[in-house]
Amino acid sequence: MTTPVSVIEVLGPGCARCHETFRVVRHVVEEAHIECLVQKSESLERMADLGVLSTPALAFDGKVVLSGRIPKSEEVRRLLGLP
Amino acid sequence: MTTGAVDRDDGAVPAAETTAGWLSGRGWALGAVALVWVGLYVAIRPVADWLSYRALGLARGSHVGEAVAFFFYDVPKILLLLAGMIFVITVLRSFFSPERARRLLSGRREGLGNVLASALGIVTPFCSCSAVPLFIGFVESGIPLGVTFSFLVAAPLINEVALVLLFGMFGWKVAALYVASGSVIAMLTGLLIGRLGLERYVEDFVWQRQFKGSAEDAATLSWENRVALGRGAVRDILAKVWAYVVVGIAVGAAIHGYVPTDALAGYMGRDAPWWSVPAVVLMAVPLYSNAAGMAPILQALVEKGAALGTALAFMMAVVGVSLPETILLRRVLKPPLLVLFIGVLALAIIVTGYLFNLVL
Repeated sequence: MTTPVSVIEVLGPGCARCHETFRVVRHVVEEAHIECLVQKSESLERMADLGVLSTPALAFDGKVVLSGRIPKSEEVRRLLGLP
Repeated sequence: MTTGAVDRDDGAVPAAETTAGWLSGRGWALGAVALVWVGLYVAIRPVADWLSYRALGLARGSHVGEAVAFFFYDVPKILLLLAGMIFVITVLRSFFSPERARRLLSGRREGLGNVLASALGIVTPFCSCSAVPLFIGFVESGIPLGVTFSFLVAAPLINEVALVLLFGMFGWKVAALYVASGSVIAMLTGLLIGRLGLERYVEDFVWQRQFKGSAEDAATLSWENRVALGRGAVRDILAKVWAYVVVGIAVGAAIHGYVPTDALAGYMGRDAPWWSVPAVVLMAVPLYSNAAGMAPILQALVEKGAALGTALAFMMAVVGVSLPETILLRRVLKPPLLVLFIGVLALAIIVTGYLFNLVL
């Protein structure tokens, strides 16, 4: 299945909340069999570049769609435009 | 936490789509939960007494009977208070976000900016792992260094779990003093750091950044999201702290009467030597525990003769100054500023300890 998103970034300094977010996102992507790259970024520069003030944050193709909380998988699906 | 919704959903509007529709759909469920909560809270005292004096047959006024009744009363009371208040606090906090705080603070001067920053630091949901991105984001958008520090100090120092526990164990006066002294510490720390002109001790890459705009704002959250956040916070916090609360109260109840109540008076009481406050704060700085673990210890210390100010200073230093956060902050702060930051914070907490001992 395809979505308009090709790169999903999970941004966070590497704490438990960020790992949990990464796990949720990867699970959704694998379950829906979509072809996109899921990356974890711990770079402060990258967070600041994207305007992220609170982590964990999610960015689709360089655009922040969520920040400061761990999303539920339904929310990630909705953000990705999945049914 | 109840809602004012009166109209049931008529089937015309999908309930989750609009705020009004959501409130009429789920508001009822929330209201019912609130009622159950109040019912449980009212029932704790009679149930605890019945369990201890009737079911277990312990004598009223006996040492064991009082200790057991205290345990059966205090554990559910604190857990219920935590569940209810954390839910309400989390939902209220979901209206604030670091992005919104930044917008409100940018362009503010020192002084008023510090006051506003400490207030926002208390209400904004903030995880200490975000301290560094937040620091960079604030500074690059032109918020003065001192104002940024006021926010960074207030956020961890005034902890919602600690607040609820202090309220449950010592009453509203101590809880209010905790918030007031925390805000004053945050304001003064920020003002002082701002006045000293320490910009050169911030890592250079922070100043070389260009402000590129803000990301998502939490104001777009739906009610469904907010309630889900509240429920999640209650579940996480209760899962993390229930054992501390139970053990803390059990220890408190068990040693009640066995350990002399003035056991600690000589070290941490009102008449203890002047250096007892700085000594406990220095001891606490390298320690880091969550606030939930601290509050029962605080109660035990006070029970055994520690002065409340000394005990509170210990708790604030343990909760507010965390080693992991300090290590993260080293990525943006050069050592002199980092040391000064911890030093000023410790000093402010020591002063609060003395103040509380004088006032209470």
